[in-house]
Amino acid sequence: MAEPARAPAISLNGVTRAFGARPAIVGVRLVVERGEVVLLRGANGAGKSTLLRVVATALSPTYGGGAVLGFDLVEERDEIRRRTDLLTHRTRLYEQLTAAENLRFACALHGADPGAVPAALERVGLAAVADERVGGFSQGMRQRVAIARTMLRRAELLLLDEPYAGLDGHAREVVDQAVLSARDAGRTVVLATHERTREGLATRTVLLEAGRLRPHPVPPARSVVPR
Amino acid sequence: MSSLRLVAAVAAKDLRIELRGRHVAGVALPFAGTLLLSFGLALGPGRALLEAAAPGLLWLALLFASTILARQAYEAEAEDDALEGLVLAPVDKAAVFAGKATAMAVELLVLEASVLVMVAVLFGLPLGRGVAVLAAALALGTVGLAAVGSLFGLLAVVPRAREAALPLLVMPLVTPVLVAGVKATELAVAGRGGEAGSWLGLLVAFDLVFLAAGTLVFEHLIEE
Repeated sequence: MAEPARAPAISLNGVTRAFGARPAIVGVRLVVERGEVVLLRGANGAGKSTLLRVVATALSPTYGGGAVLGFDLVEERDEIRRRTDLLTHRTRLYEQLTAAENLRFACALHGADPGAVPAALERVGLAAVADERVGGFSQGMRQRVAIARTMLRRAELLLLDEPYAGLDGHAREVVDQAVLSARDAGRTVVLATHERTREGLATRTVLLEAGRLRPHPVPPARSVVPR
Repeated sequence: MSSLRLVAAVAAKDLRIELRGRHVAGVALPFAGTLLLSFGLALGPGRALLEAAAPGLLWLALLFASTILARQAYEAEAEDDALEGLVLAPVDKAAVFAGKATAMAVELLVLEASVLVMVAVLFGLPLGRGVAVLAAALALGTVGLAAVGSLFGLLAVVPRAREAALPLLVMPLVTPVLVAGVKATELAVAGRGGEAGSWLGLLVAFDLVFLAAGTLVFEHLIEE
């Protein structure tokens, strides 16, 4: 295996993940170099979420293996978790806590600087509601809090699973800005979405069909996002 | 982050959620009160019988209320997949367990204070005698119940287990706390606290076993 500092961001070697008898992804071989922004496309149930969750170590491969940022997918999960951030439409926020309290707790879990919480909330346009409980927030506001959390963590590998689901225009822009800012900082991003208009964000697109990666990229759609 | 600071962060988070959700005051305490009243009515007006049954009823009420608190401690983790946030955090999961157990112990202590007053008023439990032994039994029982509840409360957010599995699993496991707690309380209120050593010892052993089990096993339970 390559030294962690030089290894690809993602290197999967025939990864299969099954739930009971049903395989969600089958024999996935994928290499993502550092600094790439990869758009992962596929229909509902194609296995996009499962693939991202395997890379994030939320799920273990049933067969196969690989490395993330040079660390073994199974044996070095904490090293991967320290450097990887998974953002989904489920925001992992505590409803009874305020936006700021949620972010400070995330800082405690990930060793991030809690002093940066106000600035992160400012960047996602939620400074005015920092001390309000997220239980009263819309889905878009919650997603912006989750994006503020990714800003605080500044993980080397950002995995975004349908981050636009249920968001309005402003919240979509905040997601786009988070991707662009990660790209500009040389971090690696894998973005799973149905939205072909987001291909403008990506350096390449990969397609997942019925749990298998397809070799040919999808033709680019008209981009609404500046490169 | 050091493990102790992580324990404190998890406990503070859980206690803040509890303070705002008011599960102890709004759910567990009314449940314990209803249970005590129902037993009181079932046992009838005989003073001697009520006094004799009081230690057992005290611990039964605490035991059942503790399963409610255990389930609720993990409901907040399930609401928006927050549990996955804990799973994916690169931290010692034993510290997460300890933080959750600490918060639950604090909640149980608040609950116990109220339930103790209820039992004293409803069943004439004489609290003045054997205070030290009674306090020791409650404190040790609290640690044991919090350890078991924080370990098996995870089952409340595992889809296939959920509601029914938690009390079914926890009740047989905490039988030693029930028996030793009742015996120590009986001896304490009878002014024979000096004879309660073996029961308090059983509580200490139970606490050590389940705190150790939680520390070792929690990571395997919380992962997929």
